[in-house]
Amino acid sequence: MNTDHQHSSNRFYKFIIYILLIALAIIIIVPVGWAFLASIKQDAEFYGSPWALPEGIHLQNFTDAWQKAKMGSYMLNSVITTAIALSLLLVIALPAAYVLARYKFKGSTFWNMLFMAGLFININYIVVPIFLMLNNGDKSMRSILGQPIFLNNLFILALVYAAMALPFTIYLLSGYFKTLPKEYEEAASVDGAGYFRTMVQVIMPMAKPSIVTVILFNFLSFWNEYIISMTLLTKPGLRTLPVGLMNLMAAQKSAVQYGQMYAGLVLVMLPTLLLYILVQKKLTQGMTMGGLKG
Amino acid sequence: MKKLLSLALAATLTLSLAACGGNNSGSGSDSANAPAANNTEAASGSTRTLKVAALETAYGADVWQEIATAYEKVKPEVKIELTIDKNLEDVIGPGMKSGDFPDVIHLGVGQPKGLTETFVKDNNLTDLTEVLYMTVPGESATVREKLIPGFTDTTITNPYGEGNTYLMPMFYSPCGLFFNAGLFEEKGWTVPQTWDEMWALGDKAKAEGIALFSYPTTGYFDAFFYALLNEAGGPEFFTRAMNYTEGIWKTEEAAKAFDVVDKLANYTEKTVPANGNKDNFVKNQQLILDNKALFMPNGTWVVGEMSKAPRADGFKWGFTALPALTDGGDRYSYTFFEQIWVPAKAKNADLAKEFIAYLYSDEAASIFAKVGAVQPIKGMSDKLEGDNKLFYSVYDSGAKAAMGAFATTDPVEGVSISDTVFGTVDSLVTKSKTKDQWIEAITKASDSLRGALKK
Amino acid sequence: MDNRKGRGRFIFFCLAPAVILFIIFLIIPTIDVFRMSLYKWGGYTDHKTFVGLQNFTKLFQSEKFYQTFQNSVLLIVVVSIVTFAFALLFASMLSREKLIGQNFFRIIFYIPNILSIVVISAIFSAIYDPNNGLLNAFLNLFRSASSDPILWLGDQKIVIYSLCGAMVWQAIGYYMVMYMASMANIPESLYESAELEGASRRHQFFAITIPLIWTNIRTTLTFFIISTINMSFLFVMAMTGGGPDGATEVFLSYMYKEAYTNSSYGYGMAIGVVVFLFSFALAAVLNAVTRREHLEY
Repeated sequence: MNTDHQHSSNRFYKFIIYILLIALAIIIIVPVGWAFLASIKQDAEFYGSPWALPEGIHLQNFTDAWQKAKMGSYMLNSVITTAIALSLLLVIALPAAYVLARYKFKGSTFWNMLFMAGLFININYIVVPIFLMLNNGDKSMRSILGQPIFLNNLFILALVYAAMALPFTIYLLSGYFKTLPKEYEEAASVDGAGYFRTMVQVIMPMAKPSIVTVILFNFLSFWNEYIISMTLLTKPGLRTLPVGLMNLMAAQKSAVQYGQMYAGLVLVMLPTLLLYILVQKKLTQGMTMGGLKG
Repeated sequence: MKKLLSLALAATLTLSLAACGGNNSGSGSDSANAPAANNTEAASGSTRTLKVAALETAYGADVWQEIATAYEKVKPEVKIELTIDKNLEDVIGPGMKSGDFPDVIHLGVGQPKGLTETFVKDNNLTDLTEVLYMTVPGESATVREKLIPGFTDTTITNPYGEGNTYLMPMFYSPCGLFFNAGLFEEKGWTVPQTWDEMWALGDKAKAEGIALFSYPTTGYFDAFFYALLNEAGGPEFFTRAMNYTEGIWKTEEAAKAFDVVDKLANYTEKTVPANGNKDNFVKNQQLILDNKALFMPNGTWVVGEMSKAPRADGFKWGFTALPALTDGGDRYSYTFFEQIWVPAKAKNADLAKEFIAYLYSDEAASIFAKVGAVQPIKGMSDKLEGDNKLFYSVYDSGAKAAMGAFATTDPVEGVSISDTVFGTVDSLVTKSKTKDQWIEAITKASDSLRGALKK
Repeated sequence: MDNRKGRGRFIFFCLAPAVILFIIFLIIPTIDVFRMSLYKWGGYTDHKTFVGLQNFTKLFQSEKFYQTFQNSVLLIVVVSIVTFAFALLFASMLSREKLIGQNFFRIIFYIPNILSIVVISAIFSAIYDPNNGLLNAFLNLFRSASSDPILWLGDQKIVIYSLCGAMVWQAIGYYMVMYMASMANIPESLYESAELEGASRRHQFFAITIPLIWTNIRTTLTFFIISTINMSFLFVMAMTGGGPDGATEVFLSYMYKEAYTNSSYGYGMAIGVVVFLFSFALAAVLNAVTRREHLEY
């Protein structure tokens, strides 16, 4: 009798959980699916109810976005920038996070604190000072090299991205490194491995899941970033994808090409979705092992 | 300090660049080469480069390319470097912050980022009065002779009140109320000539489930309100209001204008404030095409903007000036126009002036007219066809033209007159602010701007 | 034997690149922001006038800034609390219960977080549309269809909560994954013994789960502050532009308006300084208030 009662309350509880989960899933799937459907609508369909199904499959939108709106070449710029920024970030942040987490040295507390404080700096207000600095650099470059090299340079943009991501990345990684027992280094040291080899061959492989997490998080923010990109790349040919999308959306008193715009949206969204689905298993794992315990 | 810093930065970054030079040569240095090449050309004296930046609007980017080509034929020693962009302020803004100015900028006041206003406020413009007296290249008339009178006497073109022109008028378009002429024919309604008739019509339409009024965003009230102030108190009153004259908002004339807007807010379609943002304003315009609202304030570009939108059967664009406040009173239509100007620090101001003079030539004007861009040149509006003919003839059928805008002041932190006057209309419609609160806020903003007026 | 020199050199080379980048692109620009907040500058001329703390005194006398402040704080509080509650709830469901399609839900819930704000704002424009919107269509199932539509983005009293809705929608997945990650570290045996003692699910949740992921929760509080300030700006710019009539103006959107549109760059930077100090102080206070004895599993 008693167990029966418990059993049914348990089933009721499970039922509630499913309802909640399915509700949230619907709240997420419907709008995202909607964006995909919108990308195959014709322009005229956008003036009616936004929830009407497309009248046909209008793939012309994608061709238009890719070629006429140059989303194709912007995609290439975005891929280049994101790839360089991610590699720079890993090469720079991993050793720094490792050292900050596992070595006590003069100033280690200071640097730890400073990088933490960096979390509070918001790109939205430092982007103009950065621009002015780079532009002044360009002025001196023009007299030294005869040409500016800092602005309109995908590598510099990637470098700025990497710098912006440093505080959070170091925070995340050093959190993980702190959880590792000291024995690993001691064992490596007994084996005669130097500091560098210990880091690269012993510690890094263990940090793989955390590194995947870092890559995913930063990929998302680099890929979707447009404020810095818009400021540092002023040549139209050098736009990154989100900036191209913004331009597609700026109608300036002419008819909006909705179809093209949503096709552009999907083009921006697709790579992030693919990457996420590829690495999603590692994501939770990475955070589990990672320092997010605090 | 700054210089040292940028040098240090340069040094550090060159190192890293040298290491990775191969990676980015494709995109980075190619474009970097281009301006440098131009510089050397300029130095050698064979040709000079004129940097022209223009906002890409409904007229498209190609028209500027065409103008540039035509001008290079007239003046072979000048090479034109164009920057045409829909987000022009974002593209040229940062560069100008550090002293890299285009020679000519075609960008009107009233843009979202207010870049032109910033230049006006900072006294950062080249005086273009001289252009008015220049002979149009290849023609015998001066620019002044070709221009429709009045366009270079406004607070917009002559922002400092000393009579000199700093911004030249470009494409203009009459603003007023747009409606579905087809619907009026079908229902046998006449277009109201006075505001009283307007309210009567509003009640009639309400009975049929149609709202009287819609507006795209509150920003569109500028033209509307300027015209209304002219109707209420005449041009002189308008000028005093635009210069924040003390007590002006408490006058009888101002009260008339406020009353109209307040009453109109009551007749406005309920959902308008919800869509009054840059993503959704088209839905507010759609209300007219769907016969859900009768009138909206707008400019002639709305026809192109809505060209792909579905519409009610028998839809036909109609356009009228604002109704008069009293029977037989003056009716006004605000003239919206874009401006072209030269930054004070432009390196080739002399060339820039010649180029601007050329823009008023018959050749240039006809290139612009092909895409529907009409300059305030005498006789231009006679050559128009279709809807545009109707719109531009509004002044022939008795409406007076209103021009000008709130006078420019030195920047006053935290005070924006246009947000205060126009932005509040949303709150009037949703009834979260009263008319009195509105007037109070305007008076306050006006008071704090008065002291900052350009002398 | 003890290779001190090698150790020092190792530390130096590991740290130097990060420190250099950090100083050049974060510290120096931030100092520049602080410096510019003491000047009056339109943005495009050579004359910058030093005005001392005038920008700050004007700021604190401005009604608009208080409205902005209020909106920002409201968003920080509401978005954080709602996101926190839902994320925790769903995280504990997904990690404590054996469910069909567990993996599917986990993948789906994170998706909003990977979308660009532009996509999200387009989606929510369609949801909040007064006439054709999903939300009003749904509500009309429960009330007469002829009643006035609710203006999710038009009514000054509602619009800020509409914004909250979009922000929570976007953030839940992120924090859920974080909480799941640390919940996975809690040994199953704790729950088993609690079960034997007859502790209810709710009791287990408050007595075991919450205390054991407390450090993680504290960390996310800081994230909530930082990201809400930043995201609210992006959402506002994309969805409402601060309107209607300033009802959704937040810290950074107001800063943008003043620095660029109102030709008051120095004043804008003063807002930036206040935001920086405010978020820093808020995080420090929260950190101190939530300090508990550290529990080990």
